[in-house]
Amino acid sequence: MAEVSGGQVARLAVLFERHHRPLFRYFLSMNGNRELAEDLVQEVFFRMLRYRTSYDPAQSFTAWMYQIARNAGVDQARKRGTAQVVDIDTFVDRRAELVSASPDPEESVSRGQDLALLRRAMDQLPEDKREILVLSRFQGMKHEDIAEVLGCEVGTVKVRVYRAIRALEQIYFALEKEKAS
Amino acid sequence: MTCDQARTQMLGGGEGKDFAEHLESCESCRNEVSRIGTLWQSLDLLPMEEPSGQVRERFYEMLGAYRQGLASAEPRRAFQWWQMAAAAALVVVGLGIGYGVREDKSRPELVQLREEVASMRQLVALSLMQQQSASDRLRGVSWSYQVEPSDEEVMNALVTTVNHDPSVNVRLAAVDALRPFTGSPATHVMARNAVIQALPKQTTPIVQVALIDFLAELKERNAAPELRRLVSDPDIDSGVRKRAEWALERMQ
Repeated sequence: MAEVSGGQVARLAVLFERHHRPLFRYFLSMNGNRELAEDLVQEVFFRMLRYRTSYDPAQSFTAWMYQIARNAGVDQARKRGTAQVVDIDTFVDRRAELVSASPDPEESVSRGQDLALLRRAMDQLPEDKREILVLSRFQGMKHEDIAEVLGCEVGTVKVRVYRAIRALEQIYFALEKEKAS
Repeated sequence: MTCDQARTQMLGGGEGKDFAEHLESCESCRNEVSRIGTLWQSLDLLPMEEPSGQVRERFYEMLGAYRQGLASAEPRRAFQWWQMAAAAALVVVGLGIGYGVREDKSRPELVQLREEVASMRQLVALSLMQQQSASDRLRGVSWSYQVEPSDEEVMNALVTTVNHDPSVNVRLAAVDALRPFTGSPATHVMARNAVIQALPKQTTPIVQVALIDFLAELKERNAAPELRRLVSDPDIDSGVRKRAEWALERMQ
């Protein structure tokens, strides 16, 4: 990014190839809309170009990128007049994919159902909890970088990650109970 | 360690001695670690969605358009810079003269002013060399004589002009303007190499001769292979060939 910031804008292609998938998954986890997630990925890279001179090489690039991503997501949600809400119908397709991919039919059905439930629990998590789980688990970000993105202390991040996984666990068990009854 | 402290360590980092000791003595935390750990791990099993190919397509379109926009904005911006820089340079020169007349030359303010003047001259030279008009680029080359011969940025701009400027006059002027850089300890190696490397890139005889003369003047033996190639090239202009032979003799 330092090179892009210094005027070699073509080098942004390297960053795009490295980061566009994780960014897409971040947005998809946050809003559940593929089309919107792709638009937001585009928006993030455009903002990187536009604000390239504001990048400080001493700062973590990942943290800087996710700060831009968060702002882009918030702006988009504000424009649409909604919070980033997940579309529940997508679970059915995802479950079908999982079932067909597994070699043992019985196991795969059960595993697919568990994962579909887990996905559903994830999507029912409040936005802030979902975000911190996505950043720490799916994006593999360090607590230090997450703290920079969210503007809080590292210790706070650890506590929030713990609370988020506990909340996920409660939603998951509630859904499981609902299904069993 | 308390249960609360242990909880924040369950998801990563829970490897310390205190944490292990706490788990041994606390069944509730042990169960929680096991439960939450399993859930944490199973998040990995969720399917990874892939974006469509359109994302890549749109990105490269956007990047191309952005670069094009930057390139077309460059001359206009450069023009504004050099105008501002020239005006600022005049002000700074005026102030510098004022200080110089009244004050001791070793004063730090004067040193700073000199540096500012040098920086303005550099800016004007670089900006003018990027202009559309050949006469402006010639002026830029002339301005380069006013910068310190250790200024790598201006030297590189002159080398680019020698290699790529469409106007023969500007290229010739740039070859001459490189002379001071071959005498500076900071840039002489780079400048000499740049002149050697520029020779095979030229196809205009008059510029080729100017470069050969320059290399002969420098007695630059590293240029001998390129000069020999010119001598043996049947398609080369006869005037250039003779000049290359002359330069080779002079270098011996």
